Amino acid sequence: MFAAMSASDSDEELYNERTALVPSENPAVPSYIPDLDHSPTEDSHSKAVICLRTRPGGGGGLDQEAELEEEEEELSLKYGAKHVIMLFVPVTLCMVVVVTTIKSIGFYSEKTTQRITVCISKYRSIPGLFSASCIVREVFKTYNLAVDYLTVAMIIWNFGAVGMVCIHWKGPLQLQQAYLIVISALMALVFIKYLPEWSTWSILFLFTLPSCLAADLVAVLSPKGPLRMLVETAQERNEPIFPALIYSSAMMWTVTMANPSDAQHSDTGQPSHLRNVPFICSLVDDDDDDDNDDVSTGGVKLGLGDFIFYSVLVGKAAATGGDWNTTLACFVAILIGLCLTLLLLAIFKKALPALPISITFGLIFYFSTDFLVQPFMDSLANHQFYI
Amino acid sequence: MNLERLPNEEKLSLCRKYYLGGFALLPFLWLVNVVWFFKEAFVKPPFTEQTLIKTYVKRSALGLSFWVAVLTTWITIYQHYRSQWGEVGDRLSFTIPLGTP
Repeated sequence: MFAAMSASDSDEELYNERTALVPSENPAVPSYIPDLDHSPTEDSHSKAVICLRTRPGGGGGLDQEAELEEEEEELSLKYGAKHVIMLFVPVTLCMVVVVTTIKSIGFYSEKTTQRITVCISKYRSIPGLFSASCIVREVFKTYNLAVDYLTVAMIIWNFGAVGMVCIHWKGPLQLQQAYLIVISALMALVFIKYLPEWSTWSILFLFTLPSCLAADLVAVLSPKGPLRMLVETAQERNEPIFPALIYSSAMMWTVTMANPSDAQHSDTGQPSHLRNVPFICSLVDDDDDDDNDDVSTGGVKLGLGDFIFYSVLVGKAAATGGDWNTTLACFVAILIGLCLTLLLLAIFKKALPALPISITFGLIFYFSTDFLVQPFMDSLANHQFYI
Repeated sequence: MNLERLPNEEKLSLCRKYYLGGFALLPFLWLVNVVWFFKEAFVKPPFTEQTLIKTYVKRSALGLSFWVAVLTTWITIYQHYRSQWGEVGDRLSFTIPLGTP
């Protein structure tokens, strides 16, 4: 789900931005006025949202505003393209991790339900480590290695504790990104393994439904939205938005520092670096929101929900399709969808739901490849006819 | 989190917290500390807090190598003698490989 947050200069002093956010099944919230103080509500959202913010820095005098805005628009488009590429890498990485795990560990192609109950009963007390330890065990079983409890305990303890420190407190950016990718991959693997076949496909299909689309568009374009309030609140407080749920790419300090007009707006209390930088932020379903005292970073932010569902689609294709053609087709489809949505976003600077677009393409490609292209390729190979 | 942005005192405080945190059986934290603060401690031109940061990085590296040694020793012993330990070996095992050792 994409939503564009673009700021306008309607108030001279206050930095005003329109944020488009999408809650799909959430109760209505009291009307939200961006200029005044508002009380934040924290709902859980069952929709993944990506907001693209292409707001350049504040303008100077009225005369120069038009020119400045044009320049800034170009700037933002340029950065928008760069950040698209920056998103491709983590999304690709996540999908690659999921697909390799599925292909190498037979666990994921089996349809036994026994393992679920065994695993669940053993690790019920440690939900976060449950999937990690299950997967670790399956990895070791695949390679027929003996591992003792002590080593495994050390591995999982270190992995978990450093992850907590890195994501919820302070840590190097690359490590944070790596952890988020790994966690998304783990979640996707859990979805793929433990949801019955048709549930997964129907959940994915739900994202493409026109009703969802309409609901998202309405929610996104209206000024009342819990997600928007959350983002605004987080920005007002100089907090990053749900650090555990957002993947953040590089920061663009040099751009913001170079812009002198930022000095005027710096007293609004909002982080100046957020304003010159186009960033895509996405908010995800599950979990709690973590309020964090860190200064939010600029750059591109993408929500984990998107990672997870893209990876679920590709992983499902790898697990059930059994053929690389299908997997690759899904992968390409998702990237095309991502690219298209970001492009549309940069052009219109409006809220657009993006997850449906990628998932739609993915599903179309998957089923068409599976039912049309695959038999075609097989019979071609059978008849030794090379194109 | 970008180290460039932080004032030196905060860098020192961060390094110190990572160093202290590693004592909770977290050699990985020490590894992160070493890699992350290596440039600050050894490559950058000297600043006031650099000596302390250097100490922490060095100690983290020390702790890390200690843990690596311990774990390597234990894993070697375990892999080598597991089959001979019989039942104890099995109880210690998280996964038991199939086939004859």
